[in-house]
Amino acid sequence: MNASSQTLGQLESARSLALGDGRYYPTIIPGVLPIIGANANATLEIRRWGADFLAETFASPTWPSESKESLGLTVLPTLLEYLEQVEDTGVIKSAVQAAASIYPLIYRHIISDAHDTQDWQLMAAIKSNILRRMDLAPPGVRICCVKFVQQVVLVETPGIVDPRRPEQNDISLALVPRDHPLIPYSTLEAEASGLLDRLLDIVHGDHSDALLVTATLNSLGMLIQRRPYVTNKILSSVLNFNPLKLANSPMTPKNKVMMKSMERTTRALLMNVMKRNPEGPFNGRIQQYLERMHRMRLDVFDESNRKRPAPVEPTDGLDPAKRQRLGANIPSAPPSVPPLPPGPVSFRELFTLSPDGNTANFDVQVFRDPEQLLRIIVPILQSIDETKLGNAINIVRSRYLALSKAQPRTAIDTAPAATLVAVDDEEEYEPDFEPEDAEQIANKLDSTQPDSLLPERVSDARLAPYKLPQAPPLTEQEIQKYGDSTVRRVFGMLSALDDSKAKGTKGGFNRLAASNNDRDSWATILSRLATRAATGLEDSGDDIKMEFNSLSKKGNLALAEMIREAIYNYIIYDWKKRIDVAIRWLNEEWYNDRIQIEAMRTAAKDATNGDAVRTAEPKGNYQRCTLKLMDGIMAFVEGTDKVLLRFISEIPELDRDLLNRIKKMAEDPERIELAIMVFQYLYMFRPPVRQVVVEVLEDMWRTNDRAKPSAKKLLVKWKPGVLYEEVKNETANGALEVKAI
Amino acid sequence: MSADPRLARSRPQHQQPTPVPPPPPPPPVDAQPSSMMALDGTDDTSGPRDGVAPDGSFKLKFCTVCASNQNRSMEAHLRLASANLPTISFGTGSLVRLPGPTISEPNVYHFNSTTYRAIHAELTQQNTQLYTQNGLLNMLSRNLSIKSYPERFQDWVPGKPRLDHAGDQGAAGTEAGVVDVVITCEERCFDAVLDDLHNKGGKLNRPVHVINVDIRDNHEEALVGGKAILDLALSLNEAAGKEREIHGEGGWDSGGGAARRGFDERVPEILAAWQERWPNMPALWSLAWF
Repeated sequence: MNASSQTLGQLESARSLALGDGRYYPTIIPGVLPIIGANANATLEIRRWGADFLAETFASPTWPSESKESLGLTVLPTLLEYLEQVEDTGVIKSAVQAAASIYPLIYRHIISDAHDTQDWQLMAAIKSNILRRMDLAPPGVRICCVKFVQQVVLVETPGIVDPRRPEQNDISLALVPRDHPLIPYSTLEAEASGLLDRLLDIVHGDHSDALLVTATLNSLGMLIQRRPYVTNKILSSVLNFNPLKLANSPMTPKNKVMMKSMERTTRALLMNVMKRNPEGPFNGRIQQYLERMHRMRLDVFDESNRKRPAPVEPTDGLDPAKRQRLGANIPSAPPSVPPLPPGPVSFRELFTLSPDGNTANFDVQVFRDPEQLLRIIVPILQSIDETKLGNAINIVRSRYLALSKAQPRTAIDTAPAATLVAVDDEEEYEPDFEPEDAEQIANKLDSTQPDSLLPERVSDARLAPYKLPQAPPLTEQEIQKYGDSTVRRVFGMLSALDDSKAKGTKGGFNRLAASNNDRDSWATILSRLATRAATGLEDSGDDIKMEFNSLSKKGNLALAEMIREAIYNYIIYDWKKRIDVAIRWLNEEWYNDRIQIEAMRTAAKDATNGDAVRTAEPKGNYQRCTLKLMDGIMAFVEGTDKVLLRFISEIPELDRDLLNRIKKMAEDPERIELAIMVFQYLYMFRPPVRQVVVEVLEDMWRTNDRAKPSAKKLLVKWKPGVLYEEVKNETANGALEVKAI
Repeated sequence: MSADPRLARSRPQHQQPTPVPPPPPPPPVDAQPSSMMALDGTDDTSGPRDGVAPDGSFKLKFCTVCASNQNRSMEAHLRLASANLPTISFGTGSLVRLPGPTISEPNVYHFNSTTYRAIHAELTQQNTQLYTQNGLLNMLSRNLSIKSYPERFQDWVPGKPRLDHAGDQGAAGTEAGVVDVVITCEERCFDAVLDDLHNKGGKLNRPVHVINVDIRDNHEEALVGGKAILDLALSLNEAAGKEREIHGEGGWDSGGGAARRGFDERVPEILAAWQERWPNMPALWSLAWF
């Protein structure tokens, strides 16, 4: 004994070392095993200590399960010896606890090392020893066996395989390969199922043994949490459990304590289940069960003194001899439902199942307050019996099917039935996935039929931006061609718009150019396209390319030239009506020329520090276009076309060349008056060109005899000196003549 | 005769800060006024034999639990520790709540970090007279002599060694961080403990008896409750000790009679016998798992 207590002291100091730091366990266990282990012939005291130590060691959270796994293999013989040779409750209890902790570790070891037959045989021997004790051992040992069995069920049932959150430490059947030589998948599955049945049998067995019942109930919680595959089975079983069954037996203090305790333990388990899964499918039934238990408990504990104990409810629902069948699950025949009335059927009739008309006539709109309605609806929805609801849905379904067979329905009629079914389906949990990305959508589209049967609705996700594939670069000719056709189409549109002459009010200066779909807008757009589209490009290079002869080389400039040509043709086609387009165009040309000259000057200044290179300013497009248009128009102008007056007055710049055209026009005697009017107008209203006008007029007066009288009238006012000189000449000539005469 | 569970439910929940200032602080542990026991209707003679667990023998490890780990669990902690039983204690509330100047202004502290000493200092500074009068300061000075800070049951990791608690009263024997019996002082705490043990998942595979003893949350009741819990603990400890003595050849298979039965299965009857002695403290029990 003395030696024994000495040894115990040494062992105890080793243990405190390990308690101080879990990392010492791997070194301490090999040292301790020879003292406590198999063949050590140790005393009972030391074996008790050893069993307790092993249970504590392998339960300890202070060292990792990987080291536990390898060391677990070394203690198997010791555990087996404890179980087979020691007849002491304390030792057995602790040994079973240790086995419960070790079993998952050995199991995982065997999964990865399929050839370690020896260790698995040891473990299997321990397991069968423990399972044998399940029914015969004293209750204190049996509860430990229950926990061991729970561990076996836990690891031999498939766990949650959630790819989003792979649980490395959850040792479960999911880790076992199907063809494992030592532990075949199907055998494990069957064993787990059988063992779970044994656990559940304890709950429904002898209720006088509250120790076992509560121990089992408290061990089931973890299985419900972590093994959804068996949740259903366990909960159905627990919900059929009646913890107050003992109420029939004499109400001894002990029975009362046991009943209350079992009831409370069941409640704690079910509350935990509901708390962990507030949306669980069982919650309605659990709620009902708890309420029923609560009432029964009040009955049992209040009235047991005055009355006979409450009749015990049958748990299986099959015992007809009992007076009351309180919470039994009696398979109820589907309630009879009145057939639909013949003829056309309203939706209300289709959905009305209750033969009692009162509920059907109830108008929900009496609830003005939606809050109030919510308070009523939510508890009702929670208390709906699943089977009843299922029945009701089926009845409506079959009614609907019958109806749709009887008479082909329109699409509108099918809608409510569809929603009825849909409501059922959409109750299902739908995790919130991130919106699909473009690739997923693309995959989806790929998987659809190649003959482009698009899905009716791809998804609710927002569509990824679709990028058109890059087109092959166009050749210059193509650019020319397409540009040409585009421009032609715009002019086609312009001509079409000519016809609709509905003139809106003018916007004044504040309007935006080209913001309406009318002729003016398009004309503006076109003229700006012609004048400015290529401007940036022109800027970037040298000045020469502004010259007309270089244009043909440049695609863009050629395009601008082409637009100019088109505008020209468009105007000439009906020049009187389209003179406003001409004016607008020429104004744009002039404006653009100014901009160009401005830009060129600053560029030149920047380049040469000022004065040196004053390149000849480009002539620009304005003058060229104006003269060309003028020449074009002149062929058609008649003496009465005062619209020419407007044209001349509104174009921004006039020069001698242009006025010479007018002078030339006056060679036609019918158009002399028109030319005179132009000159007169310009003299009066365009002072900058007054000098030029007078000179041109003078020229005309000198060279054009027919125009002389009209020109003379003006020159009398503007430049009488010329006339005077002429008179002198005349008189000189006359004198000559006179002389001659 | 026995307590009415309905009354137990409808009873005002007193573990919350009580509006009425509790009576003067409890007398020292050893001085148990016999008048109080008489008032309580308890029968001292049928209680535990000598009130202290014998040294050197096997001892169950205990854990006492109330809402804030201040009054009832600490009173019981002191009793059990003084009786030489390994004891630790916890609260199941979300926070430590103590009565404040008014009912709507309780003093609230965090578990596991605020020491009894710090709370004592703060309340002394806040209103020495009030907290002396309602017994809080006295209670806190008792508590700080037992351990350093209130601990929350839900934050406890069973099986994690508690060597850092070596200075606490009753720490001897609880180094491994597990206990054999958890005694709660209120049904709410009992439910919370079972719920939390479900959440912890029973990873240690170690059985634990969870027992509830309903005690109202005031100083006198805590005192009486502490005595009752000690009574229960000694009864359980004795039964457990007896189990350790029964061993040897042919032990269980051939055994018979109540004396030979093991500790665990005797818990219900021990509890029932205890309930007869303490009828005002309705008891519940469950075998749960660490």
